[in-house]
Amino acid sequence: MSRPLWRLAPWRRAPLLGLRAPAAVLAVLVTSAVLACAVASAPLFLSSARSAALQAQLSSQCAEAGWVQTGGWVSAPDADRAVQQAWQDEGRASDLVLSTTVLTGTEKGPEGGLGVVSAAGAEAAERLSLTYRPDALAHVRVVDQRPGDGIWVPDAFARGAGIALGDRITVGGVPVDVVGVYRDLWSTDPGAYWCDYRLLYANDVSANRAPPAWGLVTDPATFHRLAAGGDYSAVAQVEVPADTLTAARARDLVAAQDRAQARAETLVGGTRYAQTNPRLADAVDRAQLVRNGLRGPVVPVAVAGGLLALVLVASAGSFWADRRATEVRLLAARGVGPGPLAGKAALELGLPALAGAALGWAASRLLIGVLGPADDLDPSATTAAVWSAGAAFVVGLAAAAAVAGLRARGTAEKPVGAAGRWPGKVPWELALLVAAVWCWALLQSRDAVVSVGNVAQVNGLLVAFPLLAVAGAAVLLARLLTALLPRLRRWAGRRSPAVFLAVNRLAAARLAAATLLVAVTLPVAVLGYTATLTASSQRTLDAKVGVQVGAARAVTSVTRFEPPAAIDRVGTLVVRYNGSVTVPADGSPTEQDAQVLAVDPASFARTAFWDDSFADRSLADLAAALEGPAVDGRIPVVATRLPPGDPDLHVGRLAVDAQVVATARVLPGQRLDQPLVLVAADRLPEVPRTAIAGRVAEVWTDGPLGPAVDAVTAAGGRVTQVLDPALVQSTANFLGITWTFGYLSALAVFVGVIAVGGLLLYLEARSRTRVSGYVMARRLGLSRAAHLRSLVVELAGVATAGLLVGAVLAAGAVALVYRRLDVDLLRPPTELLAVPERAVLLTVAVTLLVAGLAALYAQRAADRADPATVLREDA
Amino acid sequence: MTGGFAGTGLVKRFTRGAETVTALAGVDLAVGAGELVALVGPSGSGKSTLLALLCGWETPDGGTLTYRGALADRRPDTLGWPELALVPQALGLVPDLSLADNVLLPARLRGTLAAEADRARALLADVGVDHLADRYPHQASLGEQQRVAVARALLLRPAVLLADEPTAHQDRGHADGLLDAVTAAARDGAAVLLATHDEVAWARADRVLSMRDGLLTEGAP
Repeated sequence: MSRPLWRLAPWRRAPLLGLRAPAAVLAVLVTSAVLACAVASAPLFLSSARSAALQAQLSSQCAEAGWVQTGGWVSAPDADRAVQQAWQDEGRASDLVLSTTVLTGTEKGPEGGLGVVSAAGAEAAERLSLTYRPDALAHVRVVDQRPGDGIWVPDAFARGAGIALGDRITVGGVPVDVVGVYRDLWSTDPGAYWCDYRLLYANDVSANRAPPAWGLVTDPATFHRLAAGGDYSAVAQVEVPADTLTAARARDLVAAQDRAQARAETLVGGTRYAQTNPRLADAVDRAQLVRNGLRGPVVPVAVAGGLLALVLVASAGSFWADRRATEVRLLAARGVGPGPLAGKAALELGLPALAGAALGWAASRLLIGVLGPADDLDPSATTAAVWSAGAAFVVGLAAAAAVAGLRARGTAEKPVGAAGRWPGKVPWELALLVAAVWCWALLQSRDAVVSVGNVAQVNGLLVAFPLLAVAGAAVLLARLLTALLPRLRRWAGRRSPAVFLAVNRLAAARLAAATLLVAVTLPVAVLGYTATLTASSQRTLDAKVGVQVGAARAVTSVTRFEPPAAIDRVGTLVVRYNGSVTVPADGSPTEQDAQVLAVDPASFARTAFWDDSFADRSLADLAAALEGPAVDGRIPVVATRLPPGDPDLHVGRLAVDAQVVATARVLPGQRLDQPLVLVAADRLPEVPRTAIAGRVAEVWTDGPLGPAVDAVTAAGGRVTQVLDPALVQSTANFLGITWTFGYLSALAVFVGVIAVGGLLLYLEARSRTRVSGYVMARRLGLSRAAHLRSLVVELAGVATAGLLVGAVLAAGAVALVYRRLDVDLLRPPTELLAVPERAVLLTVAVTLLVAGLAALYAQRAADRADPATVLREDA
Repeated sequence: MTGGFAGTGLVKRFTRGAETVTALAGVDLAVGAGELVALVGPSGSGKSTLLALLCGWETPDGGTLTYRGALADRRPDTLGWPELALVPQALGLVPDLSLADNVLLPARLRGTLAAEADRARALLADVGVDHLADRYPHQASLGEQQRVAVARALLLRPAVLLADEPTAHQDRGHADGLLDAVTAAARDGAAVLLATHDEVAWARADRVLSMRDGLLTEGAP
């Protein structure tokens, strides 16, 4: 009875036999690593993005936004200890904040306050709120102090109430010593320590009633003595460093906060208002929204990357069959089928594939840590990545083994001169194109970018469509281009030996040439697409901010002041009026609200934000037009959303004879969805208050705000509002878009790595025939330089073709999509197009460099060959 | 003699692990212009090693090798295809070129493509593969590839022709055709050395040299 195959030496010793083909082992190891990296990176990236979104939200707020707090309004003097006890029961140490007014972080503003009577017996006009917070006195600017327990009062309050250091005053009827006077926090830069308490000392909201003066109590005992008989706020808070926080840990903290609050309320016997921190939970929810928005595009990207990497692993299996051809052919000749041969391949390649999967997981972890949005990952993401890498190992090994078995058997059985099999002739790529069209059709009825909870999310179709279209078109074009190779071969017959050999090599291996062409085209197209959309989105966001603000920054003032010379040095003075114009609509003129900007043309042209897409003329030209001659007695104006001619302009109620001499699609300072008119300030008639034109003076600047504020103040104006880019666009809301295209770009780079891997496999797989041909051709008279030139022509030719085809596909995909990426339709301009020149140049340089290095590599491999050995091998 | 080549005391050793193998143990031979010499011997006797020395792919560890006449004082690895052509055991056809292009490659590389085109077609017809001219090597049988390799070797009318088992994969008819072609080359003045097991080739050769254990003797074994 014959033994089963797996007990025979070729299978039993397979793991060791694999070492006889170290190049194949290395190929499987590397390609398995690439596959595992592609698959494992998705959960890691999503977790990284969620952590980064959480951290970005918290970092833009006060530190306490990320802390956990428990407490509430209580009346019992020992309730504060119970509140802290609740955190102790959770195993966490907390700091206590006691206050007689509502802390920020709740929805209620400051109110109330305690009456104060000075040592002289005079009742203070302003009421006082009390707060105890550890180390608070180390974070104020001390005016005067003395040792001892008591109360610190702000200096303005002390002056107004006739209170001095050392006085014994009464607060709410309870006597207390004044042991310190500090500078009012609103008149200093109080620092991050007080950031979350701004509502208690500042008057940002211009409310009719200012917050009470803020008394800082030195110790809890004094606080309880002063607050006796009334409700007070007792909050125990646990510091949490937000810059390393993950969503999972934040959720744990929020859960702990809820438990601690419940425990505290049990211990205290109930509170009037619970004072937990809702901002952390809100931030986690928004981070989850960002993550959910990313999942739509990231999953198809990861699947696409995984499939490409799987093709590479399968190619490595084919490479194994090539490298182990002698033994494999012998086994096939003895009747071993593709199944057992695949099993043998799996046994030989199993360990390298496993090692590769482990390496791939480690690489994905490292890459996300270094290049990802944040290095802080949830443990569940790491676990999911391990499972993904494991699955990649199993699927990759199965694919490599299956291809190895089929190729080994197919090579042995394929008759001389047999034509290619029918599956290779079917244009499967048309299915990809059909799927792309389907995605595009679906996209027509859906938003490309949606805002969920004010977080911009890219529709997954917007990613799937170009990926499918680019992949399908790349394969189809590669098929068509390589079909032209026989004609090119005839053309090359009349060219130099280098060109002749290069073209013939490509024509003789059309499938390999087409694969190589696709391998170059795909990353170029995807990278071109993502880089262009990223650059376009950024350019559009910048332009929206620039148009809204008018320049890099601006300060506004409703007070009237004479423009000083200093304004010319910091920027330009723009006076904004409300007005109206008559616009043609459906054949009948219609009056419409408009904004009128009176500008100094020279400094306006220098300072205002401008993008060449805004008009067919430069801003300097448009500004110069404002200084042109009057038209039939009407002053020249430049407008957007108005046709040339007489606009029937009114500034407030004041009619102004004007003529639109130039138009633009967008003008700086266009903040509302209505026409904007620019007029030279020195030609605009005086606009009296009675015109009710809503005059606002604005200083636009390209520099820092300080000099602009100083210029307004020096001219006697009072700054009403500061316009900063951050106020116009909240960057965190657009992180999803940035990361989506960032991940897609990473896919493109990843595909580029796959392409390089494929190129090396291509060179290695063809090295035997290439070297034997080279060795004999050298004998026939081919010079080394001519052979190197032929390699350069071959590889650089494919690379150039790939660059061109990739660029065309990217341009087509961008043209179809970019106008749909506008995330803020209310603010002009609409989506702008930006060509990422650096990325394009870098892609071209890297592609050609890789082609050149590959040519040198192939030449070195050919040079190392020993002719006598090569030409003694069996034919 | 006014052409051909001669070797005296040629020695070639290889190391295989700790073992030193002497492939050629002092070989003396001379092949004159217009002479067809058959080199015979069992597998592993050193025939292919001797051919590798003669074409310059290997360098001898001892002895001297000289080419005569117009090739005097030239190292074998500097000789071009018109001076020294060969048919290696592995044939050495360029796999990415058609059979016709393989035959024409020496002329293409020398810039005489047009001048040799007719001769290439004639040679392909002579060896019976003209109908396969546009096929790639892997689309032809081994015997057909071997005949193409011989046609390529003969294209530029070489002064020296070395062939390693040129009829090994041929039926009798095609083997005779190949022998006719190389005999004609010798009659045209080439010095031809054939390493062969084909006894018909021995009979058609001007001389037969026998190789055994790295030593060469005159006459058939």
